[in-house]
Amino acid sequence: MSETAISVRGLRKSYGDFEAVRGIDLDVQEGEVYGLLGPNGAGKTTTLEILEGLRPRSSGTVSVLGFDPGSESKRIKDRIGVCLQDTNLPDKMKVREALELFAAFYTRNADSDKLLQRLQLWDKKDALYKSLSGGQKQRVALALALVNEPSLLFLDEPTTGLDPQVRHEIHGIIQELKEDRRSILITTHYIEEAERLCDRVAIVDAGKIIESGTPREIQQRVLGHTAVEISTDRAMPLETLPESLKAEKYSIRDEGRTLSMQSESPAALIVELVRWIGERDLRLLDIHMKRPTLEDVFIELTGKRLRE
Amino acid sequence: MKPYAALIRSNLRLMLRDRAVLFFSFLFPLSFFFLFAQAFHASASGGAMSQVIAMVLIIGVLGNGFFGAGMRTVQDRETGVLRRFKVAPISAAPVIVASLVSGLVAYLPTVFLFLFFGNAIYHAPYPSHLGSLILFISLGLIAFRAVGMIVASVVNSAQEAQIVIQMLYLPMLFLSGATFPVSIMPAWVQTIAQFLPATYLFQGITSILLGGESVTKNLVSVFALLTTLAVCLLIGVKLFRWEKEEKIAKGAKWWILAVLAPFFLMGVYQTFTRQNIEKAKILERTSRRRGSGLFQHVKILVGDGSVIEDGAVLVKNEKIAEVFSSAPADTRSFQATVIESSGKTLLPGLIDMRVHIGMPAKAPYRHLAAYLYSGITAVCSVGDSSQTLAVNADKYEGARLFSCQQAEASTFALSGSEADYDFRTGNPELLNRSLLRQVGPADLIASTREATVKNRGHAAVSTLPAASRNLFSAFQSGVTLTAGSDAGNMLVLHGPTIQHELELWVKAGIPPSAALQAATYNAAKSLRAGDRIGLIKKGYEATFILLDGDPLADISNVEHINSVYFRGGHINRSALFDQFKP
Repeated sequence: MSETAISVRGLRKSYGDFEAVRGIDLDVQEGEVYGLLGPNGAGKTTTLEILEGLRPRSSGTVSVLGFDPGSESKRIKDRIGVCLQDTNLPDKMKVREALELFAAFYTRNADSDKLLQRLQLWDKKDALYKSLSGGQKQRVALALALVNEPSLLFLDEPTTGLDPQVRHEIHGIIQELKEDRRSILITTHYIEEAERLCDRVAIVDAGKIIESGTPREIQQRVLGHTAVEISTDRAMPLETLPESLKAEKYSIRDEGRTLSMQSESPAALIVELVRWIGERDLRLLDIHMKRPTLEDVFIELTGKRLRE
Repeated sequence: MKPYAALIRSNLRLMLRDRAVLFFSFLFPLSFFFLFAQAFHASASGGAMSQVIAMVLIIGVLGNGFFGAGMRTVQDRETGVLRRFKVAPISAAPVIVASLVSGLVAYLPTVFLFLFFGNAIYHAPYPSHLGSLILFISLGLIAFRAVGMIVASVVNSAQEAQIVIQMLYLPMLFLSGATFPVSIMPAWVQTIAQFLPATYLFQGITSILLGGESVTKNLVSVFALLTTLAVCLLIGVKLFRWEKEEKIAKGAKWWILAVLAPFFLMGVYQTFTRQNIEKAKILERTSRRRGSGLFQHVKILVGDGSVIEDGAVLVKNEKIAEVFSSAPADTRSFQATVIESSGKTLLPGLIDMRVHIGMPAKAPYRHLAAYLYSGITAVCSVGDSSQTLAVNADKYEGARLFSCQQAEASTFALSGSEADYDFRTGNPELLNRSLLRQVGPADLIASTREATVKNRGHAAVSTLPAASRNLFSAFQSGVTLTAGSDAGNMLVLHGPTIQHELELWVKAGIPPSAALQAATYNAAKSLRAGDRIGLIKKGYEATFILLDGDPLADISNVEHINSVYFRGGHINRSALFDQFKP
């Protein structure tokens, strides 16, 4: 068996004149959590649906668990778990019934009792679907994605629309799944979700991957500089800055009372700045160091915010 | 098979839990059932009850197919329920099949409920081919659900579904015959109706329910429904859409027409053959015969010579259900229309044992209608080729035709002797009788008169006195007599033949009672039908006439026909000849 759960080369998908996916390459290794990060309409869901065997592709080669989703979608569907956006179950269906119904579609079945317990749905197993909260519904969706003991999971924006506490809960479950050594391909437009859950991420915009790697790698590659920001009680006389500091990129705000400066070695910069402020008899009010987030990376790369 | 079974089980569970489904599949049809049953006075008529059952079954099948399967699928798609199934390794086939099967399982109990209530409350008999009925309805329901699924697949939104469904549902509801009888509609509407699948569904159900047919007699309808079902399944799996975002190609809506193509062909076929329209007429006639009536305070001539002076006759489902020797005081318990008949006489339909019905293609039907108009409910045609007599007894309403290869020796037909003499001597008086002029046809009467008058002044010998003497001596020696007329000869026109024959008998010295017995029970026995017709007796066919006045007192009262009942149905005499209008 190959080490690669998903392998994609030159994937393209057009709807008429509109090209939703414009040449995507990506590899998801076994046991890896891989995130597709991008704004709405970037082509994430289309890519996922092609991999799940739900949609034909226009061109490119794709292998999912060793199968081609274009011609062997049934075999793929039987082996993967999928948590889609905007799905629903009939209002009057009970949680356990949903699990039993979907289990009947697959050749391999997980123990549904264990699944219910694991997703903290045991108390709700006889509850009607319509009586569940948003978080519970999402846990049911995850449970359904797991009824066939899949080794590869597709989670399409699993926490969109949920409140922060529930999102946190779902993150916990996904982390547990990760510990099972399942491969997971997840799409999201929440930065913190990607930073927290993903081994590797790819930033997708307008149908293309514009950057990929571990979250740390991307941050470093795109924005080598960490910002240091200090605030003082009076305006800083910037003309007296030491020559070594004048070379760095900087900006000021609050009528000269806040200075923000970028550096590849922020620790050394702080020491120098603090000394300079002491020498000028200014009172230091605040100091903090800001590492670039994926959000910053995204803005840097695309010029737009993720959730626009 | 596992996905199929799981989906069916799940569907059924959801239906049982859904109050809307329970309401629309049980309460709603049942309330319609009782509403229609009251509106159509179903308690007094088994035919009306069958009609009501057919109506609610059609309404149920249409609603179940278009709303239960079609609309439901659209809603499941709009709310994202179907999307969840899309990622599972199943095709649309189990989803569609499960919908068909679970819909059927949920629907069948109502069929039994209708039949049960129809029987328990309204005394409608259970259908003689129950298995055929269930089979046919099941096929209809599954086919209509399949059409509903196709509708769901070709529309893009719930609003669009509403429009398409109403466009199919309403015409099928109103034109299939389920809500209005086909015959009251203009001819062009009748033709349009032949293109609607629901018409075949309705006709199949009524044929089985009312016509007592088995499903094998309705193979054309079965074939059309089966074809639609097969086409729906084939393209339904291809067209099925799991998400509202999946748009469908613009031309795909025309697939609905492809699905309905078998019915288009049926429509073209029926437009030319008109088989179905004929059949609908026959079924309506059958329906009318299922009425219940109680003839109160009537003088009854039983047919075998016995008389009930002030009795009553109860008619139900084409049969005489009871004969009361004195009129019952409380009539409500009979659930029948009470027909107050004091001063009238009720006797079995008259039988003419010797007629010559003739050769021309359409004429026999008109002759038989003329007999029925005159209260002669059966005739025996003598000496005609059997081919002539192979008439479809149900195609037109008319007297029942029996074929007798040879005339019975005991049949006396004085009319023939009299007419022969009148014709030879140019006396057309026989053509002046009022009942005969009502029956016509006018041009035949005119040409007969013309031909007769030409012989005016000729001399001839009448055989009537000798024939009358023969009759009387036969009566005196106790021969079982039957009456004929030799109609089809000059001056003896098909129609009120027996009336004049009996007058001649009474003139020949036969008591009216014996004469009437000869024209009823004796004739029935001689036709080997004496166990079914010819008597006013419980269990006999409800074929009789009601006369104004008493023929025992004056035999000419047999001409004063108040009304004619044939196989339980009241004959609209004035409309009988409309059947032959082009």
